[in-house]
Amino acid sequence: MSAFILRRLWQMIPTLLGVILLVFFLFNFVGGDPAYLLAGKIANPEQIANIRRQLGIDQPYYVQLWLFIRQVLTGDFGVSWSTNEPVATIFASRIGPSLIVLVPMMLIETVLSIVIALAVAYVRGSLTDRSIMIACTVAMSVSLLVYIIVGQYVLAYQLSWFPVQGWGDGFFENLFKYSALPILLGVIVGLAPNIRLYRTFVLDEIHQDYVRTARAKGLSDNAVMLKHVLRNALIPIITNLMIYLPGLLVGHFLIERFFSIPGIGREVILAVERSDFPVIKAITVYVALATMVVNLLADLLYKAVDPRVQLK
Amino acid sequence: MNPSPASTNAPRSPGLWQLAWRRLLEDRIAVVSMVVVGLFVALTVASSLNWIARNWNEEIAVGYAPPAFTGKQAVADNSPDTTAKPALTTDPYPGRVRDPLATELAELRGQSAAPHGQAAEPPMEINGIRIVDPIAKEFAEALAAADAMATAPRATSLIFGADKWGHDVLKKLIKGSETSILVGLCAALVATLIGTLLGAVSGYFGGWIDDFCNWFYSIFTAIPYLLLILTIAAVLNQKGVTTIILILGLTGWTGIFRLVRAEYIKHRSREYVQAADAIGASHARRMFVHIFPNVSHISLVQLSVHTVGFIKSEVILSFLGFGVPVDKVSWGSMLGEAQNELILGYWWQLAAATAAMALLVTAFSMFTDALRDALDPKIK
Amino acid sequence: MSETQDCLLSVRDLKVSFRIDKHTTFEALKGVSFDIPRETTVALVGESGSGKSVSSLAMLGLLPKESALIDPVSRILYNGRDLLRCSAAEMRDLRGKDISMIFQDPMSSLNPVFTVGAQVEETLRLHLDLNRKAARQRTIELFDEVGIPEPHKRVDVYPHQLSGGQQQRVMIAMAIACEPKLLIADEPTTALDVTIQQQIIELVAQLRRRHGMAVLWISHDLAVVGEIADQVVVMRHGEIREAGPAQQIFEAPHDAYTRALIQCRPPLDHRPKRLAVIDDFIGNELVMASTVEQATRGIAPDEPPILEVKGLCKDFEFREGLFGKRVLHAVKDVSFSLPQGKTLGLVGESGSGKSTVGLTLMRLHKASKGEVFYRGKNLLAMSAREQMPYKRNIQIIFQNPYASLNPRFVVGDILKEPMCLHGIGQDDREREQLALEMLYRVGLPPLSLRKYPHEFSGGQRQRIAIARALSMRPDVLICDESVSALDVSVQAQVLNLLQDLQAEFALSYIFISHDLAVVKYISDQIMVMNAGEVVEVADSDAIYDNPQHPYTRKLIGAIPRGWQPGAPE
Repeated sequence: MSAFILRRLWQMIPTLLGVILLVFFLFNFVGGDPAYLLAGKIANPEQIANIRRQLGIDQPYYVQLWLFIRQVLTGDFGVSWSTNEPVATIFASRIGPSLIVLVPMMLIETVLSIVIALAVAYVRGSLTDRSIMIACTVAMSVSLLVYIIVGQYVLAYQLSWFPVQGWGDGFFENLFKYSALPILLGVIVGLAPNIRLYRTFVLDEIHQDYVRTARAKGLSDNAVMLKHVLRNALIPIITNLMIYLPGLLVGHFLIERFFSIPGIGREVILAVERSDFPVIKAITVYVALATMVVNLLADLLYKAVDPRVQLK
Repeated sequence: MNPSPASTNAPRSPGLWQLAWRRLLEDRIAVVSMVVVGLFVALTVASSLNWIARNWNEEIAVGYAPPAFTGKQAVADNSPDTTAKPALTTDPYPGRVRDPLATELAELRGQSAAPHGQAAEPPMEINGIRIVDPIAKEFAEALAAADAMATAPRATSLIFGADKWGHDVLKKLIKGSETSILVGLCAALVATLIGTLLGAVSGYFGGWIDDFCNWFYSIFTAIPYLLLILTIAAVLNQKGVTTIILILGLTGWTGIFRLVRAEYIKHRSREYVQAADAIGASHARRMFVHIFPNVSHISLVQLSVHTVGFIKSEVILSFLGFGVPVDKVSWGSMLGEAQNELILGYWWQLAAATAAMALLVTAFSMFTDALRDALDPKIK
Repeated sequence: MSETQDCLLSVRDLKVSFRIDKHTTFEALKGVSFDIPRETTVALVGESGSGKSVSSLAMLGLLPKESALIDPVSRILYNGRDLLRCSAAEMRDLRGKDISMIFQDPMSSLNPVFTVGAQVEETLRLHLDLNRKAARQRTIELFDEVGIPEPHKRVDVYPHQLSGGQQQRVMIAMAIACEPKLLIADEPTTALDVTIQQQIIELVAQLRRRHGMAVLWISHDLAVVGEIADQVVVMRHGEIREAGPAQQIFEAPHDAYTRALIQCRPPLDHRPKRLAVIDDFIGNELVMASTVEQATRGIAPDEPPILEVKGLCKDFEFREGLFGKRVLHAVKDVSFSLPQGKTLGLVGESGSGKSTVGLTLMRLHKASKGEVFYRGKNLLAMSAREQMPYKRNIQIIFQNPYASLNPRFVVGDILKEPMCLHGIGQDDREREQLALEMLYRVGLPPLSLRKYPHEFSGGQRQRIAIARALSMRPDVLICDESVSALDVSVQAQVLNLLQDLQAEFALSYIFISHDLAVVKYISDQIMVMNAGEVVEVADSDAIYDNPQHPYTRKLIGAIPRGWQPGAPE
């Protein structure tokens, strides 16, 4: 077990190095000279040279790469180009609001999806099953932008059931007042694809031999579904969930943007719009690191839910 | 006692592809969705060849002219821009195109600023240098067209209504479909090509090649997909259809890689591949002649899946302003405009873009599902 | 027998069909009737597609609801109740309590995420209303009864931690937990090694006597059935061909198909030149003389070898721990030689390394150590390029006829590809002609050339695979479990074909199989392998009559003898 964790941590090093190289490549070779971006349109060569010296991009590439690696290792990415706030501070203050919205959203979405997927898989092939599947396909075809735009317009703007946007200081105020509509819309958007996916997971299990054994024992259909099938279907569901977790942090940026929630996702958009390279770099590397750690956790969790898995 | 070679003329049995195609044609939903997708593709081709919706950029209707089926009419007003562009209200020639060089040229000529829009000045010389307005001719034509448009009667209602400037929403929709389908298909082709090739090599050879490809894969999956796209959009800082296609295609291959690699690992130890090894088939032959036809259906289904996915991604990118340039329409940029219109109660552009996208994506998804079922290799 | 109260369960006119797609249905059972008397073992015998498993699933109401259609005239009477008309709740009460079932593959039939103990306890608590503690106690007793060592420890392990034999014992414990009146065993030993098969057969027979159950034993293997059955029902294509007491079925079968089934298994005590096949009995009543004519096999000590293997080793490495590696020695120092025109049989249980030997010596796996001399040239020392001209000399035929042919190639391309690669034949026309000859030689019609593999049955596909190998005119043919996946009647045909080809082309075979009866029939010499090592090599008759090594003795002891005239019961 501990050997496994050590080995996985060891394997993270080349991946992290790769991420650093990719980000370095993107920002130093693909993108233009950031000095021109920073200096604005009316810049003389002296100013440009000055900025280049400050940023360290007048140095040879290997020195710049080493500087970048040192930034990653120390966690000090400098200050934001647009607000002059230290990047680490930005990061720390943005993660809370993101989690307040994301955690309840994930929980509600997952539980609802599993319940509906089980029910739909139970009546597989019936008219109900087919109608729900078609409804899911259609629901998935509407852009999530539309859900957010229309949801915000109708539920908040027209009906005034929720505040249109905003963010407060109190945890409960944020959770129940400002996050309610974002959570609701997030769940609605996530439901259809999840139901479809989980339904296939459940159906895969329903056709296994052990289900036949359970029925041959005389167990009722409910017992077979809720005990034998669900317990096995949870394995792919949990792994799937874990893998998408870090992506969600960024993935719900649209919701954060529309509802002015000061989270990570909105920060990404702002940074991209302002070409705020230090913030983008930091977020990319940190989220990549988080992904790797979560993947390791997913493997450990996988071991916990599936006795067949051996961690070697 | 040799058998006669009469069989040489016998018809070849239908192959697995042909059987799958027949199954697909038997599936009513599949046929309907294929027809819908086909129509969209036909629209795309027609509009990219400029057969239809060529002049989508013309302001042919009153701003926010409602859709015809609502039975409403907008108030006829020849200066629709007055509310939308308050900065221009002082302009005595609203809605006209202005020569960007007019002021500078006038200064050079030592005149005061020329009256608006007086183009095509006769050439003149300063210090022996002949100065010619470089865009004078084109500008004059554009000006004439703009003038004709500004004075032409504008429609008060259109089939799907009009936007702020009086563009026909239907034509924008067609142009938007062109962009979305083009981006979706091309990006999916790029991604499928990369994913399949890397997956095949990685899964077939294993060993250090596999380790290397996996390392590459782990880098691209460590960064969440959307973050990666936005990062690249940020550093590239240039807009264009090709750029989006490349961004989406170069980042979106990971899922296909994983599937194709797993399939190659499964197949490389299959007995038919070992048999090919036993008869002396080379690696390349085993990889492409023997295994590839047996995994290509996965690539095909993934191509279809990713087309849908990339269409959705393009909409979001364009909505955020990282996608198509301003002189192009996409469903995403339409939604971006529509977001503000909705608050004012002008819902048609939103509805039209949503419906068009939902129709195409639903049909495409259902086609994908049917394709997957038809290609199901469970048949022995 | 005709008295219904003697009868625990009687099936009357059972007709079942399956919906395949919108337009087609497949009639799996075409009106089947038979009885299961109390406290007897009834065997349902048939080849694949005979409908034997469908009958058993119908009894428990386990057929898939969405695709299976049961004809309304069908009845399955159990103690006077028609099971086909019982409510879902009534059926649940019966299942697992009155009628229980064990399946072919115990690994997949047990739920992988629950401990084996929990799965048995579930049945006990469901039907006998035991509390948690009592159920656990009873489970340990049951495990003890079915012969699982250290039952109090084994109840807490997961299915994958047990061997196949022990998994099947758990399934049996679960099935007998509530003292059922009828135990249905659907091919319960097919997935297991021979030695384990013998133990399971004995266990079920013993439990049947002790608990006074009736057993419905479903199998394709008449030899196994002969060991356990009191009554035998022979099925083919959804119909019953013959039913009666075991003695009558085995000693005086009325039906031609039954006779064919009994005859086409390779006998252990003599070696006919040719095995009987179904066509000998059905349609044309003339029994070929060669099935009576005997052949002798064996290798004289001075025959020069065409293939010689010296000290062959194969290790597989697995990554483990931080930097650690685990090495599995799949083949340890194997040496043998094979003269032209002879057959070397390679027997062993699963995991003995017998298949690895075949794959390694033709370089489909990279050998870890050792030499393979073909006509004096060491194949393992050559570069891939140098080896190319030698590749055609050693060919292989695999086990699974469904996986060994590329499904996207027509048969013509499958046969012509090796000729193209080795420059056999001048042009495509000539190769096509050669391919036609090959097809003819293996007994397939010329039209096959334009067909895809999925249009053929398992036996026909194996013939195509043989034709592909033959198209290169090899000297040595490795048959890796080549007949194991085939029905017995088809198996006999393919074995006959292999023998004919051997005589015609002076082929040398390495015949790898777990089936001792088949290996003994076809081989001149037999090599017994266990855990990667050769334990015994001798002429096939000698090894069978006078096994030296205890492992060989154990293997031979486990071969199902079939019906023994005058045996007890």
